[in-house]
Amino acid sequence: MKKMRVAIAGLTACSGCQLALLNCEDELPELFEKFAFHFFPMACSPALLEGEYDAALVEGCLSMPHEKELLLELRKRSVHLIALGTCAVWGGVAALRNGEDREWLRQQVYGHNPVASETFEPLPLHRVVKVDAAVTGCPPEKEELLRLLAGLTRGALPVGIDYPVCTECRMRENLCLLTERDMFCLGLLTLGGCGARCPSLGVPCEGCRGPVPEANLAEALEIYSEKGFGRITVLDRLRRFCPEWKL
Amino acid sequence: MSNGSKIDILTRVEGHGSVELVRDGGRVVDACLHLSESPRLFEALLVGRRFDEIPDIACRICSICSTVHKVSALQAVEKALAVNISRQTGLLRELAVQGGQIESHALHIFCLALPDYLGVNGIQGLVAHEPEKLRMGLKIKKLGNLIQETIGGRAIHPFNLLVGGVGKVPGADQLLHLKDQLEELRDEVTASIAYVSGLNDILPPLSMHPACAVSGGPPLFGNRLVTSTETIAVNSAAAWLDEQVEAHTYAKVSRFGGKIPFLVGPLARLTLAMPAAYAHYFTDTSIRSAMKARVIELHLAVERAQVLVDLLLNDGLKREQPVVAIVAQGEGTSVMEAPRGVLLHSYRFDDRGVCCAADIITPTSINQGAIAVSLKELIVVMDGAEYEQIRTVAEMLVRCYDPCISCAVH
Repeated sequence: MKKMRVAIAGLTACSGCQLALLNCEDELPELFEKFAFHFFPMACSPALLEGEYDAALVEGCLSMPHEKELLLELRKRSVHLIALGTCAVWGGVAALRNGEDREWLRQQVYGHNPVASETFEPLPLHRVVKVDAAVTGCPPEKEELLRLLAGLTRGALPVGIDYPVCTECRMRENLCLLTERDMFCLGLLTLGGCGARCPSLGVPCEGCRGPVPEANLAEALEIYSEKGFGRITVLDRLRRFCPEWKL
Repeated sequence: MSNGSKIDILTRVEGHGSVELVRDGGRVVDACLHLSESPRLFEALLVGRRFDEIPDIACRICSICSTVHKVSALQAVEKALAVNISRQTGLLRELAVQGGQIESHALHIFCLALPDYLGVNGIQGLVAHEPEKLRMGLKIKKLGNLIQETIGGRAIHPFNLLVGGVGKVPGADQLLHLKDQLEELRDEVTASIAYVSGLNDILPPLSMHPACAVSGGPPLFGNRLVTSTETIAVNSAAAWLDEQVEAHTYAKVSRFGGKIPFLVGPLARLTLAMPAAYAHYFTDTSIRSAMKARVIELHLAVERAQVLVDLLLNDGLKREQPVVAIVAQGEGTSVMEAPRGVLLHSYRFDDRGVCCAADIITPTSINQGAIAVSLKELIVVMDGAEYEQIRTVAEMLVRCYDPCISCAVH
């Protein structure tokens, strides 16, 4: 059988989504047998964009002109373009001060030296190209990446998740950190799929997978307010991973 | 299918950078390193965030080094707010950091660098030509991740490490499982020292750089920087590292006395404090020996992890709530060793515990000066060689430093 040609690229990010794939230690040799990771600079040389790809998996947000060019090139060459991880899907941590003066922020780090002045406010991929599917998470779960690749071999794209972390947390019969322990947990508003990883160890959800569709923010804000977490506190925390949270 | 375009970036390293070879006629006359990763401006992002958010955000600087960033940020925050952690928390964090060391070194040695020594182009080449070595490397890598997951809740961006303590203390059964796994892989790690040190060198010997490392604590931890001639206390470390913004790189640059580039990381750590048992591997301490240093550190990390697991089991694991931080004005700096070398996190908080200044200095930003010098020397040594050959060896040279460019630029 002809191997599927896959490109894996990282833009502005921490390489964590690509590392999550490289962390599939048991499956990795088989993955490299089943797929031609033709363009995957983090793990393979050379970085050569050539021909067409069955799928391009792109990690990170966009914040530099040449990243836009690479993304457009990948889009043009690929049947499916998949946003990998929270930065690619929502903007991620790099975008947490979006809306503020970028040049002022840049100067906080580089002073008046013009280094990196061509960079711009981080954008999720869908602002520039059509994205066919998304796997969210900071980082995404390994199993999600394996399911994504397995699906691609059948021509299937991952189905979007439409339930919050809360649902998975209840299924695990965890104590509710928000209602029973008064902790600032974002599981109510955050996309599931992680198996409620953090609350299951008693650590509140920090919202790393972005907003669940049709989240009832107004109602959630009331619940948070009853627990002593004000509107600004909640929105500030939500924007840690997704700058577009608004009422 | 001929519509190819080669992208001029370094491969098999973390992040984005490139080596520019300057040609004069047919000759390569100069080489420059560009760290062109887009800056996320972390030091600006952290300002305005509450103390307990700092470690969660700062660890996102880098995935490979996320555990050590988290622990480093926690230490700086705790110092600023005068939080004293328990012995158990200290041991757990130390174990998590050793797990990160194992994972990072195994990834570099067996997945990213080994292809250079075997003349293949990446993991795909290893799958085809050296599947057994790759599988062994991946088993060691997986062990590093298992340790990080057991303590941190997740291999990348561990969430279970909190200001003042941990979320859920791992159970004795989990630590016993780690103990078994460490024991099972110990011989393979020992054998990999012989294997890696038996590989033929891929680089000519190049000049050594002065070295710098963290000292004064358990392995990888400490409260000062040391060089062969100086000791610098943690509170003076940022000023001593004296990062400067330079036009050709997005990562800030540090030099001894503003002039001399220096080396941090495995080879620097070992040359400054060489365990007698390993001295005979280092007849040559130029950067081409970094791979040997890394595999020896892999072994040291496994040994230390075994000690830590035993200490925790002997103490008996106790359920503990994190120490509550009392919000106050304060400033704290932490230095420790990330897999690639000296890592500094420094924060200042106002009287509401909100961050008003952040400074993060990472190993690859320090090493970039040394890489640049090595590249220039390589061009001289290889004068007359073909352009493509020089390019290939130049990339191997950069890879010997195991750069982590997301960290460097952040």
